[in-house]
Amino acid sequence: MLYKKMSTRTGITFRKIEPFLYLAPATILIVLIFLYPIIDIIRTSLLQNNPNGIKTIGITNYRLVFQDPVFWQALGNNGKLLLSVPILTVLSLMVAILLFEHVRGWVVYRGIIFMPYVLAIPVVGMTFVYLLGLNGIINTLLRGAGLAFLAQDWLGSIKWVLPSLSVVIIYREMGFGVVLFLARLMSLEKEILEAAEIDGANFWQKHIYVTLPQLSGVIEFFIVVELITMLSWVFAYVFTMTGGGPGFASTVMEFYIWKHAFAFRSPGIASALAVVLLMVTTVLIILQLRLRRRFLDESV
Amino acid sequence: MKISLRVLSVLMILSIVLVACGAKATQTTSGSNEKVDLTFWYWAESDAPGADAWMTESVEAYKTVNPNVTINIVPQSTDTLISAFQSAVTAKSGPDIASQWATGPVLGFVWQDAVAPISDYVKADEMKNWLNTNENTYNGKVWAAPMYLIGIEIMYNKDMFATAGVTPPANGRWTWDEFMAACEKIKTAGFTPFVVGDKDGYGGAWWFSHLGMQGLDSTDDLRQAIIGKADFTDPHYTGWYSALDDMVKKGYINEDVMSLDLSQGAQAFSQGKGAMAWGTDGMIKQALTDLGADKVGLMRTPSYGTGKMAETGNATQSISFFITKWSAHPQQAADFLAFLHTPDRLSSWYKHTGVIAADSRFDRSVVTDPVLKQMMEWETTGPQVWLENFLPGQIDSDGDLTAGQMIFSQSGTPADAAALWQRAAETWRNQHPDELTNWTNWQQ
Repeated sequence: MLYKKMSTRTGITFRKIEPFLYLAPATILIVLIFLYPIIDIIRTSLLQNNPNGIKTIGITNYRLVFQDPVFWQALGNNGKLLLSVPILTVLSLMVAILLFEHVRGWVVYRGIIFMPYVLAIPVVGMTFVYLLGLNGIINTLLRGAGLAFLAQDWLGSIKWVLPSLSVVIIYREMGFGVVLFLARLMSLEKEILEAAEIDGANFWQKHIYVTLPQLSGVIEFFIVVELITMLSWVFAYVFTMTGGGPGFASTVMEFYIWKHAFAFRSPGIASALAVVLLMVTTVLIILQLRLRRRFLDESV
Repeated sequence: MKISLRVLSVLMILSIVLVACGAKATQTTSGSNEKVDLTFWYWAESDAPGADAWMTESVEAYKTVNPNVTINIVPQSTDTLISAFQSAVTAKSGPDIASQWATGPVLGFVWQDAVAPISDYVKADEMKNWLNTNENTYNGKVWAAPMYLIGIEIMYNKDMFATAGVTPPANGRWTWDEFMAACEKIKTAGFTPFVVGDKDGYGGAWWFSHLGMQGLDSTDDLRQAIIGKADFTDPHYTGWYSALDDMVKKGYINEDVMSLDLSQGAQAFSQGKGAMAWGTDGMIKQALTDLGADKVGLMRTPSYGTGKMAETGNATQSISFFITKWSAHPQQAADFLAFLHTPDRLSSWYKHTGVIAADSRFDRSVVTDPVLKQMMEWETTGPQVWLENFLPGQIDSDGDLTAGQMIFSQSGTPADAAALWQRAAETWRNQHPDELTNWTNWQQ
């Protein structure tokens, strides 16, 4: 009797902790991979190399970061890059809808449009360096077409460098957008679109009033992903194409963090910059997770 | 029997001592049987094309003499040379031998306790032959080995000069007014007077190291502004930007200056796209090949400033090789670096690169081209300073390089450029109290 009672109690206890045991390996992995580095970066952001060794200096690094005009310029440049997200979204949508309409050779076009997204960013970057130079291919074509007045030093002038970077980012990221939107379009019920056509809706009416509302979830998801990209995934473009210049005209937060961490030997400042970027990006990640949940619910 | 035991004991002790001495000798000479693996993070090809092939040959040659020593060469990229080694310093693990540009970059790592002084491992008799060791001397020790010397002077296209009616300076150097007058003539003749690339910022940095230096009295003069005892906005330090700005405004600089990086600027000269350009020994050699040996002339930077350094040359060992503090085989690493200075290696170096070796034993008679011979004379005569090496990395990047880009892209005035220097210096001083202390205490 006593044995039976004990084993029942043990069974209940085991059942209670069983789920946690299953979760433990993944939890430990996540803590090690994600949480530890974040905690360590926050800790490093409170340190400074002093003549007498490494000292804890509280939030001084944050104060120094906020006093640094280059920080604000880098943050501003990230902000300007965010302006390309609406353009990227609209272009991706338009191309996806055109392909969805099964224009002749749409499968080939889909492959061509997606191809840049498969290429490594440095490859894309270096290619555009040759295209966008003052005497590069684009300006040569413009001059050849009698449009010399349009030729610019696309990457060498402070006026044009960020718009040029935006164009390159849009060129590459559009592949992702088109494939994402196309996948969602393919899953739409054709009867609804056919009903709209039978009711006399033209091309624009059909897509604006019928297709787009059904894509809202995936559009929101794509926008948030691209907002995060513009904030914290553009380092490779900047590094390969402009080196942050001319001056600081194309310096973005990631690039400035990298310079402080590895070129300027100031891990404390780099960590403080990283924490600031992390905070901004976290807000967007939370937004993304909420939208993703909504998108998944919608898909189901 | 007792005597025999005593004798035996003494003999055993003697044997142990001899074996111990032998072991010591084994550890400190590369000719021993101890298997040694050395990793060398190597950079030189960008300065001296052919340097990689020379190093491969040198490693093979060393292996023949020291079969127990394996040297693993890991070529480094210019863009990540500092950052990659900084990562190694943070991890306190990495190569046995590393490369860094002389002076500031090397000493920066010395101050981080990442470098073992090479003068502790190489005999003074050997080191007295090495040139420009002063570039990496600190606290009475030499911290890195030189391999070659490069200078940077102005190469010119003789045909373009002749067409424009420009006579090269008789004594190898123009005044600034003569230089500007020549630029005007060349421009009128339809050529670009001066080609340079500044997409990476180094074109501007080279102007600083030439014109900026001419206004200074010493490297310590520059240090005063770095540590905050003088102001970079003082024309003494940055007034020369007006001259550069004047050149850009008058159209004496190639229009695509911001689309080309430094090496592409030199290539543009070799392709006949400009009448003058900066050239290192390697770039000059390339231009002589591309344009023809009789088509390229050489002159020194025009006289601009009136500081005590106005006549100082600009030759530098550029890259320096040093032993890392964490290397388990510092002596073997030093032996290999000394091997690179043996007469056979020095001779081979020049054959591969056309750049003179930083060693008094280098056979100067192998330099026969009159232009390269002239360059060698300038590089080895009188005091030599490459001023950019005397800047902390952050001020070089956010002040020097960025200010040059500002002028070349015409996105700011000379006053803005000066203000940028001052801002970069103030930011560096605030963010790097440890480095500030080192620079303050550094007696140059």
